[in-house]
Amino acid sequence: MSTAILDSAPTGVLELRGIHQLYGTGDAQVHALRGIDLSVAAGEYLAIMGPSGSGKSTLMNLLGCLDVASSGKYSLAGHDVNEMDEKALARVRNKEIGFIFQSFNLVNRMTAVANAELPLVYGGVRRLERRQRALEALEMVNLSHRADHLPQALSGGQQQRVAIARALVTNPTLLLADEPTGNLDSESTHEILAIFDQLAAAGRTIVIITHEEEVAARAHRVLSISDGLIVSDRTNPRRTLR
Amino acid sequence: MRLIDILQSALRGVTSNKLRSVLTLLGVLIGVASVILLMAVGNGSAAKIRAAITSLGTNTITVRANGGSSTTGSSAITLAVSKQLEAAGLGHVTNVVPQATTSLTVSSAGASEDAISIIGTSADYFTVSTATVASGSAFTADDVASAAKVAVIGSTLATELFPSASALGQSISIDGTPFTVVGILATQSSVGFTDPNTEVIAPISRIQRSYTGFGAVSSLLVQAKDSDSVTAAEGEVTVELNQLLGVSSTAATSASASGSGRTSGLASQVSATSPFTVTDQSSLLQTQAESADSFTALLAAVAAISLLVGGIGVTNVMLVTVTERTREIGIRKALGATRGAILGQFLAEAATLTLVGGILGVIIALVLAQYPFNGTQPVVIGYSIPLALGVSVAIGVFFGVYPAARAAGMRPIQALRSI
Repeated sequence: MSTAILDSAPTGVLELRGIHQLYGTGDAQVHALRGIDLSVAAGEYLAIMGPSGSGKSTLMNLLGCLDVASSGKYSLAGHDVNEMDEKALARVRNKEIGFIFQSFNLVNRMTAVANAELPLVYGGVRRLERRQRALEALEMVNLSHRADHLPQALSGGQQQRVAIARALVTNPTLLLADEPTGNLDSESTHEILAIFDQLAAAGRTIVIITHEEEVAARAHRVLSISDGLIVSDRTNPRRTLR
Repeated sequence: MRLIDILQSALRGVTSNKLRSVLTLLGVLIGVASVILLMAVGNGSAAKIRAAITSLGTNTITVRANGGSSTTGSSAITLAVSKQLEAAGLGHVTNVVPQATTSLTVSSAGASEDAISIIGTSADYFTVSTATVASGSAFTADDVASAAKVAVIGSTLATELFPSASALGQSISIDGTPFTVVGILATQSSVGFTDPNTEVIAPISRIQRSYTGFGAVSSLLVQAKDSDSVTAAEGEVTVELNQLLGVSSTAATSASASGSGRTSGLASQVSATSPFTVTDQSSLLQTQAESADSFTALLAAVAAISLLVGGIGVTNVMLVTVTERTREIGIRKALGATRGAILGQFLAEAATLTLVGGILGVIIALVLAQYPFNGTQPVVIGYSIPLALGVSVAIGVFFGVYPAARAAGMRPIQALRSI
């Protein structure tokens, strides 16, 4: 546990103030988020829970800079996301965020190691260094022996591990997981959650969106969302940060 | 994203669906090859006609007696008329050469050829027509004056009659009368219905005395000062001949085809009342050359359509590819790909496909253009290569990049949600 990281970011790596998100116009308008205030400190392991339609996916898209809020202020690792143009957003996604999706989202015609390399390709890293770092990331998720396999030759749990390696390869500020175990059997779920535990123990900032109690129970802090508002924010008694 | 990564990514895109890539490639290849090849074939046939026009000589006019050489009476064009015409001192005319033609059997000691065209003419024939003597010499004005039994023969006829030795100085028999071969003509390209390489050319005095008689000649070959004065010369010749032959001026007007602005082809139809027809040798071929040019244009249009179809094929493939890969675009954007990087990838993919197909098409067209097509040697037009290649690449790249640009402009979350 690195206290140095915590000290250097007293206000938190993620800061959300008065976030609103509106979709559509007129009668069809949906108010997905109705004023979210949230601060996440470096090294925190946060779970966001809520039923379907509560706005948690919308929040995840905002946190991941995949979408921009209608109003409110969001800063990530000191960058003011609201002010950013398309190019700068792409750069933030590349450098600061590691995504893990429910449906893995690997590129099917590329091998495991090529998939893990992909963020570095867009980061402009040289080929040899890229390969080296991708293999190290695969090593972290115990998958270096399957590096040259295509996704379809891997099990669901293995594919998700490739996706985690891909998320880790740029050494991002934030690891953002959207229902990472939603498509997995229980054995693979345990495997993946164990990896998240290790990463949290190593001081990674992790935000995980889930509706499974079992997943949320592993996090340090659990946030509940309903109808676009945070309804509860509790620290997990069994797994405190410090 | 570095250039080499864009190229590598494009290569992977191209090779990941081989059948589709090969079909696209084939579409571009056929389009490019057909444009170049069809334009080459059209150009080749036009070039053939242009060569024929040059070999004919562009400053000669033919005056043909209507009703053939048997026409007699005051309106017949005789050798005397020919001499009077030349003596008239027409401003645009430099030479008048009479031609008495017939068709006879020509034989040597070992061979015999039927229906050989015999041209009895004056010594000026060799300066007026494009026929040149390759070996030996032409007959002279003295030969014509003395009605010498000498002949200049075409190159093909020479080898047919004397397959093992030179025909020069040998004796040939024209319908039983012996002639000495004094010259052999250079090989000429064949124009129209007769092969100039099987002709026999002899002094007109001898031909008239032995075969055709002293009545009308078949035609007059009139040499204009230069190719620009052909029309003026035609007018002068028509007027002068009308006077010499005592033809009325109305008939003269209808006969004077070029003078009244009509084409020579029309003139031969309307001049039934006139005893002669004036034709400018190159005008018919000029028409042929024009039709060859429009033939080239037609071929180019057909080829352009096939190029367009090829381009639409590329477009179709790229549209399907982009739609199929919208999710991949979303993934790449989530991982930090900028709009430019996505565009670059699809641009490189489309450019690779169309360029490889296009270059293969050019190579195939250049190889096939080496072989004659329907008797015509295709001549590749230089600009058709960059034109065909440029158009196919432009179509492929535009329609490859346009849908990609739309997908790349989507928010990553939208792209990720698709399929």
